[in-house]
Amino acid sequence: MTDITLTVNGATCTGSPEARKTLVDFLRDDLDLTGTHVGCEHGVCGACTVILDGRPVRSCLMLAVQAAGSEVTTIEGLAPDGGLGTLQQAMWDSHSFQCGFCTPGFVMQATAFLRDHPDAGEQQIREALSGNICRCTGYQSIIDGVLLAAERNRER
Amino acid sequence: MAEIVAERYTGASIKRSEDPRILTGAGRYVDDIKLPGMLHAAFVRSPLAHGRVLSVDVSAAQALPGVVAALTGADLEAMTVPGPDPLMALLGAAGPTPEFSLLATDKVRFMGDPVAIVIAESRYLAEDGCELVEADYDDLPPVMDAAFALDPSSPPLFANLGDNIARPHSRHEFGDVSGTFASADRVIDFHIDVHRHQNVPMEGRGCVASWDAGQGVMTVHAATQSVHITRTGVATRLGIEGDKVRVLAGDIGGSFGLKIGASREELAVAAASRHLGRPVKWVEDRGENLIASGQAREESFDVRAAVSDDGDLLGLDVKTVIDTGAYPGMGMGAMVPDIMEAMLPGPYKLAALGFESTAAITNKATYVAYRGPWASETFVRERVLDLVAKDLGLDPVEIRLRNIAPRTDPPASMITGRPLVGVTTKESLEQVAELVDFPAFRRRQAEARAQGRYLGIGVATFIEAAPGPRPEGPEGSLGSESMRLQLTEDGIVALFTGQMPHGQSHQTTLAQIAADEFGVPFEQVRVVVGDSAVVPFGLTGGSRSATMTGGVALHGARDLKAKVLDFAAHLMEASAQDLLITDGNVWVRGDPASAVAVSEVARRAASGQFGDDVDATLEVEATYDGGEGGWSGGTHCAIVEVDAETGLVKVERYAAVEDCGALINPAVVEGQIRGGIAQGIGAVLLERSAYGEDGSFQSATFMDYLMPTTCDIPRIEIEHLETVPLDADVNFRGVGEGGMIVAPPTVVNAIEDALSPFGVRIYEQHLPPARILELIAAADPAVRWLQVLASAFDEDDVTPVAIVPSDALPGSDDAESGGPVQRHAGGVLRENAGLDGPDAVGLGGDDKGTE
Repeated sequence: MTDITLTVNGATCTGSPEARKTLVDFLRDDLDLTGTHVGCEHGVCGACTVILDGRPVRSCLMLAVQAAGSEVTTIEGLAPDGGLGTLQQAMWDSHSFQCGFCTPGFVMQATAFLRDHPDAGEQQIREALSGNICRCTGYQSIIDGVLLAAERNRER
Repeated sequence: MAEIVAERYTGASIKRSEDPRILTGAGRYVDDIKLPGMLHAAFVRSPLAHGRVLSVDVSAAQALPGVVAALTGADLEAMTVPGPDPLMALLGAAGPTPEFSLLATDKVRFMGDPVAIVIAESRYLAEDGCELVEADYDDLPPVMDAAFALDPSSPPLFANLGDNIARPHSRHEFGDVSGTFASADRVIDFHIDVHRHQNVPMEGRGCVASWDAGQGVMTVHAATQSVHITRTGVATRLGIEGDKVRVLAGDIGGSFGLKIGASREELAVAAASRHLGRPVKWVEDRGENLIASGQAREESFDVRAAVSDDGDLLGLDVKTVIDTGAYPGMGMGAMVPDIMEAMLPGPYKLAALGFESTAAITNKATYVAYRGPWASETFVRERVLDLVAKDLGLDPVEIRLRNIAPRTDPPASMITGRPLVGVTTKESLEQVAELVDFPAFRRRQAEARAQGRYLGIGVATFIEAAPGPRPEGPEGSLGSESMRLQLTEDGIVALFTGQMPHGQSHQTTLAQIAADEFGVPFEQVRVVVGDSAVVPFGLTGGSRSATMTGGVALHGARDLKAKVLDFAAHLMEASAQDLLITDGNVWVRGDPASAVAVSEVARRAASGQFGDDVDATLEVEATYDGGEGGWSGGTHCAIVEVDAETGLVKVERYAAVEDCGALINPAVVEGQIRGGIAQGIGAVLLERSAYGEDGSFQSATFMDYLMPTTCDIPRIEIEHLETVPLDADVNFRGVGEGGMIVAPPTVVNAIEDALSPFGVRIYEQHLPPARILELIAAADPAVRWLQVLASAFDEDDVTPVAIVPSDALPGSDDAESGGPVQRHAGGVLRENAGLDGPDAVGLGGDDKGTE
C-alpha cells in the first residue's frame, strides 16, 4: 500500500492503494466515482478516459500511484452543479448515445479535444475520437454532438 | 369513442430521458453495484480447446490470504441442479441435449471453458488465486471445423451424444424444387461462407448475486435482456422457487443478443453466493468477453440457383452447416436454421426452395444470438442475385426489380408461407437508386478506373419480421406482450414493462406513446423496468418492442384513461363521455374552468372514501397481441473504394431507405439503423473471431479483434417510407436488426463491383485487406496484368508486392470456387488494417495513454 494524495474534480483526495491498482479501479472502488467505465483494460476502447493534468488519459493503463499529486477530472466533475455542460447538452440534443457505456470516455476525450481545437471540423473530430469505441451508434450522432458543441462554444 | 388527442410526442425526436444520467456518469451499470460484505469472483479457464480434466487442485488458492473460497466443477455440481439450459427449454428447442456442468468436470471443450471459480476480497486477489489453481488435462484432438465435426471419426465432445451433431440433418422443400431446376435455363452453383464474429457490447457480461439465508431469497443484479429469463435460469439451476429469486437490472451497456438469460458463469456466481452467504460480484473482462461469452455466425452454404436467361430467380436449393461451437444447449445455433429457411425467399417471387441444414458441435465458444441471428440467409440471397446478374450482364437494381414480388391484394406469400403484407421493397429500391444516382456513379466509376482507382456500388434488400405479419388461421399468433399501468397519487402515469432496454431508449419511446394517448406531458410518464418482482414477463429482443410494447403502451394507456375518466365522472358529476384529459388535467368538454389535475383525481381515488360501486383502483393490466403485425425492411446502398495495392476498403457513401411503418422517435430509429450498419461494416472489413488449427483463440484483445471506429464508418443517409398502414392505431415496427442483416451483403456487393475489372467473384463475408489482395491475386492473370499495365500508365508507383501469382498463394485455388480458403490470424489483420492510421490510434500510439 502506498499513501497518495491527488485532486479529483477539485477536491483533495487521499488513499492507500496497492501499487498495482489501476487509476480507474481506484476512482471506482476507493472513491466511488463509478462514472468512469472499464471497457477493455488494455487501452484500446477509451471508455475509461479521464483528464489528468489537462490531458486525456486511459485510466486503465495508469496506476493510481502514478496519479499522486495530479489533478484528475472525471465525468462527474464536468458540471459540478448537477447540470449539463455545453458538450453534454449538445450530445443530449443530438441523441449522441444509446447504451451509455462508452459515453464517459467520449465526453472526456471530446472535452479535452474541443478545449484545444475549438474550430475543429468533422474530419478532425473523427480522428480525435478514433481511439474511442462505441458499439451502438455508428458514431455519426456522437460526431454531430461534438460539432454542435463547438458551434455553440463559438457563438458565446 | 375515445377523443382523439393531438399527437405531440409520437413521431418526434424527443430527447431521451435516459441521457441526463448517462451523460453525467450517473448511469448505474452492474459493475457499479457495491453491497456490504461483497466478494469478487474470477474464473480459471481452460488453455486447451479439448481435453480431459485429470485434476483441479484449488488448495494453494484457498490458502492465499484474501481468498475466501475456490470451487471446482465438482463442488458446483454438488450445489446445483443438473438440467438443460432453461432458456432453450423455454423456447422449446428440439434435438439432443448435451449434458454438462456449470464448470468443466470431465472435459474442457473450448479454450476459455471455465474450470474453477475463485472468490476473494477483491478482484485482484481473486485473480491471484486463479494463478494458484493447478489444473491438469489430457489433450484430446480438437474439433475445429464443422466438416471434421460431422465426420464419424471425430471425437465426440459430449459422451452422452456419441457424435458432434447438435441438430441432425434435415431437408424441407417448398414448391416444385426438382421441376423448377429441371426446366430452368441455367443452374448455377456456389459455395458461400460466413465467418465467425461476435456481439462485443462495450459492457461485458456480469452480475452481483446476493443470498439472504434468513428469507431464503436470492437477489441477482444482472446485465440481461430479460430479468425473468435470468430469474428462471437461476431458480432452475439453484433449485429455488421462482418467487424467491429476484432479478434487478439497471443500465446495461449493450448486448445485441448476448445477454439473454443467465450464463454458466453467472449461475456459478449465484451458487457461490448461496454457498458463502455473502454477495459475490463477477464482471467479465474484455479477454473473457471475447474468448468465452459466445460468438455468432460461422455458417457455410452450398447453393444452387435455378435462373432463366432473362434473370428470373426461379428456385434456390441451399444446404447449410452451422458451427455451433461447444455447449450448443446454451446458444441458439440449433434453432437458427428454421428461421433461415422461413426467411430465405425474402421479398422475392422465388417459386421453389429446397433447404437442408445440419448443426455441428466444435471446440469453440458457444454460438449465440447476435443481432439478426439468421442474417446469413439475406447475405446468401443478395450475393446470389449479384452473382447471377453478373453472369447475365444485368444491373443489380434491374435484377432485383425483376424478381421482387409485386404488392398485390391479397398479398403474395413467400414460398415458405408468410404473406408479404405491406412490404415495400420495390419502392425502397427505386428510391435508393434515385438517391444515389446510379448513372452518375457509373460515369464516375469509369473515370476513376481510367486513373487506376477502383470504385464500386452495391445494393441489397431485406425484410425483417419485426414482428412479422399476423399468421393466418385460428392458431396464428404473434405472441403477446403485457404491461401494468398505473396513475399514481403524484399524477404520474407509470408503465411497468418486462422490456429490458440496453440502448433501445424504451424509457423515452414508450413514454411518448403513453403521454399522447393518456393526455399528460411526456415528463409525467415513468417507464419502470428491471425488477422481476414488479414488472411482467418480457424480453427485449427480436426487434419486437416497437410493435408489441408500443402497442401495449398505447392500448394500456387508453384503458387506463377510460378507467380514470370513469372515476373522475363520479368526482366531477359529469358523464365520462363528456370528460377529456389534456396536458395532465381532466376537464368537462367546453368548460376549461372545470379542469382538475390528474394527480388530484388520483389522490381522491386513494382516499378510500368511495363505496363498492365506485372502482377507485386506477390501474390496469394490459396485453397486446401485436395487431396486424407487419414487416420492416428496405434497401441499402454502399459506394466503396478499394485500394488494389493495399487491399484497404473505404466506404465512401452509405444510403438506406427503410420502411418500419410509423416512427415513434425518428432519432432513435435512425440510431438503431446506423448502429446495425456499423456492425455490418465491421463484420465485413474488420471483425473475426479467429481460431488456430490447434484450437487456440487468436483474437482475444481489441488489437486482434478489430472494432470499427469513427474513421471506418461514414455518414449514413437514411430516408423513410411509411407506405402501408395495417392497423387502426399501431403501425410501429421494429428496426433493431435490419442494419446488421443487410449491411454485410450491401458492402460485399459494392466491393465485388469495385473489383469487377479483375474479374473477382466473392463467395465470403470477411474481407480484410489481406483477403482483398488474395482475391485480386487469384483473379484471372490476364485480366489482372491488363489492369496493372493500365494503371502503370497513369502511376509509376505500382507495387508488385500486391500482385502475387495466384499459384503462389496458399488456398488461392479455393478462393475462386469459394471453398475453404486460407485464413489469416488476428496479427496479420492488425498489421494490414492499421495501414491507414486510424486504428493505430487505438493502440495507444497517440498521446492519450499513460506516461
